[in-house]
Amino acid sequence: MSVPILRHGNVLVASIQVAQTDDELLQLSDRLTDMIGKTRARGVVIDVTALDVLDSFATRTLRGIAYGSRLRGARTVVVGIQPDVAFAMVQLGLDLGAVSTALDLDDAVAELDRPAKEAGSR
Amino acid sequence: MASDLVATADKALAQEMGLDERSIERRRRLVGLGPDDSKRIAAFREVILPRVDEYATLFFNFLAEAEGARDFMRNRDLVEQARRLKVEHLVAMVSGDYGVEYALQRLRLARLYGRASLEERVFMAAFNHLLRAMGGAAFRAAPEPELGFENFLSLQKVAFLDLGLMVDVMVAERERLIIRQQEAIRELTTPVLQIRDRLLMLPIIGMIDTHRARLLTEHLLHAIRANRAKVVVMDVTGVLAVDTKVANHLLQTVAAARLMGATVIVTGLSSEVSMTLVNLGVDLAGLQTIGDLQGGIEEAERMIGYEVFHRDARSPAPPALSRSI
Repeated sequence: MSVPILRHGNVLVASIQVAQTDDELLQLSDRLTDMIGKTRARGVVIDVTALDVLDSFATRTLRGIAYGSRLRGARTVVVGIQPDVAFAMVQLGLDLGAVSTALDLDDAVAELDRPAKEAGSR
Repeated sequence: MASDLVATADKALAQEMGLDERSIERRRRLVGLGPDDSKRIAAFREVILPRVDEYATLFFNFLAEAEGARDFMRNRDLVEQARRLKVEHLVAMVSGDYGVEYALQRLRLARLYGRASLEERVFMAAFNHLLRAMGGAAFRAAPEPELGFENFLSLQKVAFLDLGLMVDVMVAERERLIIRQQEAIRELTTPVLQIRDRLLMLPIIGMIDTHRARLLTEHLLHAIRANRAKVVVMDVTGVLAVDTKVANHLLQTVAAARLMGATVIVTGLSSEVSMTLVNLGVDLAGLQTIGDLQGGIEEAERMIGYEVFHRDARSPAPPALSRSI
């Protein structure tokens, strides 16, 4: 099932509801970068609240989406990583690199609203 | 009601120790106690039975004079109870039947000793004292010395069966106590406290091992979610020793919290600890550290937009000295 991408002002929200195959993730990445151009979005929020597994490929793809959209002029925030998922990722040495993370949608939008210079400094 | 509780506890312990007909059979084989012994014991039973009270007195008199049994002897109720069980024990010792019932009875007595923290070696000495008297009687009960010695050996086998059970129970009791205490320590030392809206504090005190680090991380991550925390101040003033492992645990916790959108500020790294970390070559580049807890909290407040004023002061408190290494 492909992930719906919602537009809210100049922010794109992609909420992943079911576990995605590697192909589906790549499609999501393509569609997002595509849509950033079309909608002139300034921010992307990827919601993973419903996921109880984030493997190395998913992590890498999320990182890719973030870097890709950065190049297209939008910042990405990953939202809703579950405690157990976060712990497992750290144990497995998976790293989201410079990708911003936030607890929930509220925080993500607040993060995107901060001036770009300040953001990511923490 | 109380005795019901005790009986349940005995059963639980028996289960924990795996005391069933088969394991007791194994124990009997270990000490070489067989049907021949039961027969011999049955033969001199009548000599022992009328004097069980006397033997029990002997045992408790010995304890009364022993150094390590003072606390035990002072507790009148316990001694009375133990004495009753002891008489029961002595009767059972010459009954010739050493099955589950017998083992359960040993267990009851051993738990009583354990509760009263009677020292094992004092108990051993008293038991040895008792055995000498009983063995003598068993010896003299035989028509000739050779048979008397056999009698004595049979009694000794029963005694060693007893000792095996008693020691196992006493050790098991102590282990249970240790496990309970460990759990209590674990529970106590990983509190996650909320000091302001969206600001949590995690004081770490004492040793961190892998298990505890894991619990700590789990507690923290769930607390971040439950309290919607934005900043966490992790205070390690109470951590006296840090090694590579502990440092890695700290880093992992920080990374996991970051994945959930929270920032972790580490405070209270003492000069020794920081020097150790530098010497170990642990890369703490990803860590935001501030000297003391106060500074950490001030910085955290600033990050989530609080400004704290003294009631009398006109200007806000000076900003905390913060640094990142």
